[in-house]
Amino acid sequence: MSVRAFRATPFSYATLIIVSAVLCVPLVFVVSIALSSDQTVNANTFTIIPREFHWENFTRVFSTELPMQRFLLNSVIISVGAVAGQVLSSGLVGYAFARLRAPGKNGLFLIVIATMMIPAQITMIPQFILFKELGWVNTFLPLIVPNFFSNAFNVFLVRQFVSRLPSEIDEAAMVDGLGFFGIYRRIMLPMLAPVLIAIGIFTLTATWGDFMGPLIYLNDESKMPLALGVQYITSTSQALQAPPWNLVMVGSILLTLPMILVYYLGQKYLYEMDISGGSAGVK
Amino acid sequence: MSRLRRREALWFYLFASPWIIGFVVFLLGPMVASIYFSLTDWDSFTPPKWVGLDNYRRLLTDDPIFWKALWNTFYYAAISVPLGLILGLWLANLLNKGVRMRKLFRTLIYLPTLVPLVATAMIFKMVLAPSGPLNDLLGVVGIPGPSWLLEAAWVKPALILLSVWGAGGATVLLLAAMKGIPRELYEAAEVDGASSLRQFWSITVPQLTPIIFFNLIMGLIGAFQVFSQVYILTKGGPNNASQTMVPLLFDQAFSFYHLGYASALSWLLFAVIMVFTLIAFRSARRWVFYETEVR
Repeated sequence: MSVRAFRATPFSYATLIIVSAVLCVPLVFVVSIALSSDQTVNANTFTIIPREFHWENFTRVFSTELPMQRFLLNSVIISVGAVAGQVLSSGLVGYAFARLRAPGKNGLFLIVIATMMIPAQITMIPQFILFKELGWVNTFLPLIVPNFFSNAFNVFLVRQFVSRLPSEIDEAAMVDGLGFFGIYRRIMLPMLAPVLIAIGIFTLTATWGDFMGPLIYLNDESKMPLALGVQYITSTSQALQAPPWNLVMVGSILLTLPMILVYYLGQKYLYEMDISGGSAGVK
Repeated sequence: MSRLRRREALWFYLFASPWIIGFVVFLLGPMVASIYFSLTDWDSFTPPKWVGLDNYRRLLTDDPIFWKALWNTFYYAAISVPLGLILGLWLANLLNKGVRMRKLFRTLIYLPTLVPLVATAMIFKMVLAPSGPLNDLLGVVGIPGPSWLLEAAWVKPALILLSVWGAGGATVLLLAAMKGIPRELYEAAEVDGASSLRQFWSITVPQLTPIIFFNLIMGLIGAFQVFSQVYILTKGGPNNASQTMVPLLFDQAFSFYHLGYASALSWLLFAVIMVFTLIAFRSARRWVFYETEVR
């Protein structure tokens, strides 16, 4: 039976086309400006559809006075560390909360939930002092190490995921003489792949794009990740001189492309998570 | 407790230890420290000086910038969050119709949310420049565009525009939830002769209220913590017209080293977020519809 609510009218098409076009205009401008020469950018004569194709901007960006390749490498190091930390720890903790029985567990889980409501700003200053005392300021450690202690949201995701797996699986493994760690490593870990990949994607997007963390902890140009570096290009240009917009846009593209790639490769895992429950799939 | 159960409990605490240690070291400890800091005057170089509730008193009665930042944060959250949700709902509803090339539209609408905030800020710095593309476009229709980020009256709308650009995030979530609404509901309404608009308001929207509510809560919490866009685009200016809570806190802590004052500010921010979350949960009883509920 055809239902009116699902019938697409010419009006629906018109709206969708206009809205998607408007949303994409800024992105088209980014590409156009990234391909423009310095003169075009300074004279403000770039157009939405690129008229010139200065692909050398993509190599030029690596030979300015700013160490772009270093920024990129730093981003990769920090992101890989953070993802490894979250994936390793969240799986273990989430499994424990879902399956193992222990006195005090329910109380602890309530605390896990409660901590999700505390804004990061509360702990920002004391954490800074802590890392300063440890001598970790101006290193990657404050941005990587806390991830090895999992976080409430990810623990919650894994716990929900494990709770939906039939418990006969681990009971059978137990009868076969596997210990708890064996069950986790050999039985659970392979089954957790979708949720761990989703956690990896969330962590990667959050860390790759993180601005405030590096802003607080990293002072040296050579330590900055790309997200901070791209912004640094604009803030270091002379006061009355416009920033080199074409190179800034190349930097923005370098910052964005990995996210598009990750989304493209990972979307099937993200949609496999129970989005309708509203607990997953949120940036 | 049997030997086996004791062993199991031991393993639980072993497996959960990363979170437990992290909770104590990175959350509980810092929270207690933050309460103490907020009661002191401290620049991190000399020992903290106990001042009692003075930081809170100064923030609430003696700091016009705090009130301005609070108002700006309210303004930003109160407009950007509902606007993003309405737009997201509207787009999801369009995509849920049997349109051709739905995947393409969905991707185009979602694309802006994949752009990292720093890059988004860069893009809008360019788009919103006084002689940038947006004002060029307005010029074509004969409207003289404002200097968005440089004018006190337009800087907040500019930041809201930036946030609405990411409405695709909500669209994708709402679309996934729409797929889960039983088709029989629509068929029954169709038999009764309900128009498509009527079906939207009486079936789609009520069925989606739990996920709309979830998005509202997450959106509000996020909006109250807005930082990167403000810090990069305006530094709170001009004349604090776009100063919000977290950039203000950041400046107080890491530019002026008023660590006690900034800690007090962080607790006030927490209080504001808690109050709004509670209000949202209270109101939820009146408008959020749960399947299992009998009315």
